[in-house]
Amino acid sequence: MKELLEHIAYCIEYGKINIQSPFPPDMKGKKGADEYTKEALDAGVSPHKVLTEGLMVGMDKVGKKFRENKVFVPQVLMSAKAMNTAMEHLMPFFTSGDITPKGTFIIGTVFGDLHDIGKNLVAMMLKGNGWKVIDLGMDVAADKFLDTLHAHPDAVVGLSALLTTTMSNMQQIVERIREEKPSTLIAIGGAPVTKEFCDKIGADMYAPDPQGLLEELETAC
Amino acid sequence: MTRKQEFEKLVKGEHTQKTLFSPILMHFAARHIGKTYGAFASDHKVLVEANCKALEDFDMDMVSLISDPYREASAFGAEIRFMDEEVPRCLTQVIQDEEDIEKLEVPDVYAHERTRDRILGAEAYTSMLKGTVPVIGWIEGPLAEACNLMGITEMLMHLMMNEDTSEQLLDKCLAMGKAFAKAQIEAGCHIIGMGDAVCSQIDEDTYRRFVKDRHAEIVRYIHDLGARVKLHICGNITHLLTPIKEIHADIVDIDWQVDMVAAREVLGAETILCGNINPVVIQDRGPDEVYALTRELVEQQKGQRFILSGGCEITVNTPFANLLAMRRASL
Repeated sequence: MKELLEHIAYCIEYGKINIQSPFPPDMKGKKGADEYTKEALDAGVSPHKVLTEGLMVGMDKVGKKFRENKVFVPQVLMSAKAMNTAMEHLMPFFTSGDITPKGTFIIGTVFGDLHDIGKNLVAMMLKGNGWKVIDLGMDVAADKFLDTLHAHPDAVVGLSALLTTTMSNMQQIVERIREEKPSTLIAIGGAPVTKEFCDKIGADMYAPDPQGLLEELETAC
Repeated sequence: MTRKQEFEKLVKGEHTQKTLFSPILMHFAARHIGKTYGAFASDHKVLVEANCKALEDFDMDMVSLISDPYREASAFGAEIRFMDEEVPRCLTQVIQDEEDIEKLEVPDVYAHERTRDRILGAEAYTSMLKGTVPVIGWIEGPLAEACNLMGITEMLMHLMMNEDTSEQLLDKCLAMGKAFAKAQIEAGCHIIGMGDAVCSQIDEDTYRRFVKDRHAEIVRYIHDLGARVKLHICGNITHLLTPIKEIHADIVDIDWQVDMVAAREVLGAETILCGNINPVVIQDRGPDEVYALTRELVEQQKGQRFILSGGCEITVNTPFANLLAMRRASL
């Protein structure tokens, strides 16, 4: 059992999706997160254990390596793909209530900004950490964040911006959320964003990388 | 002495009278003459007018043809929508699958409206400035262009999973970059800027495996045509400095996340470093603080091959006084 969970974590850490996947080259022809997750569930390992001792362990390692510049975006994307493939096997257990998400996180790139790579990385890491993620995509206006927030009142909101020119749009969205749902936790991130800017616009959390956000959320939620 | 002559002295490593000043201006330049970003990106006459006005008002040392990432993508077939006060939007993903890579043809840069518009911009600068001011043309680097055509997430994963077709797509983007650079040089550009921002997001091995040789090939090609090369990769490129040195670009843009002293140490005395005040700082702080920060950088790089700039594009809301403070600090 323990060995299967270690295999799952390893496959996710190194981005090995399934037996057909040629990545990483030194694992070509070997089983991936897809097969090992199915095997673990078939062997009677609890879905919660697969999530917390398999998927989350793998994603945690990737997040830390990303923060330390030991891996970069392509490798993280492969890990996330492996995780999503494994997660497919767990989805029925989320639906049935056998696994409870840590919380709901509404994420989007702010209006005027069409970059999604950072937002996608954060969304993937959150999913791998047991959060339910509602991804609103790119170029998202305040109204859309608020509509979604009204449907999920306890959710945390995450705003992303890649451009110096669009980060100022975060402020408008934060102000709107503060007007209508003042107790909402708001996290911001993106290449030009800083803690100083976070404080200035009245957001609650800033992290320079996805792993940092997970740590902030552990403290705040 | 003209600005062009000053630049040539800098290239040779000779003493220049002042630190050259060449911030990246797009939306800011458009707003400065009361025009929209959409007009700036879609009409070379607006772009040239805006840059020439900024050249004089902020006493800059170069002009540029940079506008947005989608000129080549548009020529490859992507639909572009111009926005009044935002970066143009690319509405279509030209490459959906491997078959599209096979079918993709490198377009004629003179035949397509958006690439031709930039070439016309180069001709307009040549006609107005008579070769006295360095003119920077612009191309997308091969990986950036591949991402524009396929989507960043899809392309970066494609690199990991499908080496052969990734190489094929990158070769087509390389061919496009060379053709577009050649056309701009023939229209009068002295320098070609190559923007390959996404490279800051990949590791050194992936850069070496897929990108470095293509960058080097473009640099050699542009040198053979008699022009200089400015490599622009925004973000933190500390981990790529060693392979970047090997491509022999004349100018390397250094964003604010990179330590200038460390960059100089790796890239050496021959490379012109261009940077690297944080654009958010230039936008948000007062002119005295901007002056002091700039002065510190200018002193640090004194006597070396260096061009003063922001780490990346100057934002549209930057106060004029702050840009003037940068210029003053460089004199």
